Amino acid sequence: MLKKSKQVDTGNKSSIIQTPVEGKTIIGEQIIIDGTIRGKEDLLIEGSVKGRIEVERHHLTVGSKGQVEAEIQAANVTISGRLVGNINAAEKVKITKDADFNGEITAKSISVEDGAYLKAVIELKREPHKKPVSVVKPEEKSASEPVKEPFTLAGKSSKGN
Amino acid sequence: MTFFATSSDRPRQDSGHGVKTVDYTSNVLQLFIEGLDAHPTAQVLDLGPVCQENIRFFARRVKRLYVCDMFIRLERCLGKGDPVDRIWHELDYPPESFDGILIWELADRLDDGEVRALVKLCYTLLKPGGMAVVLVLGEQAARLGVNSFVIGQDFKVRLRSQYHLHLPIRSRQNRDILAMMTPLKPAKSFICRPGFMEFLFIRDR
Repeated sequence: MLKKSKQVDTGNKSSIIQTPVEGKTIIGEQIIIDGTIRGKEDLLIEGSVKGRIEVERHHLTVGSKGQVEAEIQAANVTISGRLVGNINAAEKVKITKDADFNGEITAKSISVEDGAYLKAVIELKREPHKKPVSVVKPEEKSASEPVKEPFTLAGKSSKGN
Repeated sequence: MTFFATSSDRPRQDSGHGVKTVDYTSNVLQLFIEGLDAHPTAQVLDLGPVCQENIRFFARRVKRLYVCDMFIRLERCLGKGDPVDRIWHELDYPPESFDGILIWELADRLDDGEVRALVKLCYTLLKPGGMAVVLVLGEQAARLGVNSFVIGQDFKVRLRSQYHLHLPIRSRQNRDILAMMTPLKPAKSFICRPGFMEFLFIRDR
């Protein structure tokens, strides 16, 4: 079940953290959470969350009214609202056309609808038998970075222009 | 530098669903991927429009794929009446970050000064020897509106309309495009259909 820390601001409406559907928690539009959320069931965010979200074996959805600024660990993530932060998903990340996402995505697979507002760094987890992927950000470039091989354009049959 | 052009597959017109689609085989994308294959730590920047198939295509082939949809940013910028140069700050990556940049047809949507600003930025962001893919649609294809270029099997490319984007088109002669792409160096060009060309540019070492 959902655990939350630090601040919960419920505003003046009846919107609360609730579990109307079995196995799924909803953070309503009028909820603001600043801190860490850990849970063992699916989570839908329509309110504002800032901090960290860990629902490692479950599905996180940022609804169309959701505003999230967080580091996220989940099995699957669906974004329809605004999300700034990094996602580490064991399985799939789905970004709908209504999404506004800025951050890094590490996942096994990804789907993105045309029209999504996106600024992302995407790294797909490779199958174990394939070459492992190390994490190096552009700003972490160092002198030890491998020197590029000369680039040679393949000899496609072409004629002078 | 020697400059080449060849004819590629002819486009296929399909009137299904009232939407014209144009398919062609992309030689430039094939060269782009071949160039990236030499770099196991390759990083690529895609300037959009956001396209699921292309994200999957590149994310499986490079170490890290960066996507920053400049088409939708341009759309919103023009919609607000803001100066276009405000969108360039979105490309706030460190210099020499990328082995490749997919510019697609973005240059066709910008005026000359904006194209030069984009090219200057891309030159800075490319590693020495890095590549940039540029498409010039020509008038006929431009009438189809804004499209994403969906990469399929064997580098077959299908155009998919982006109905949410309504951007101006600037028809230019190829030589004008080449002049504006300086200091990037043209490496290859291919005619996909009359007036519709693919270019591969390279940053010098």
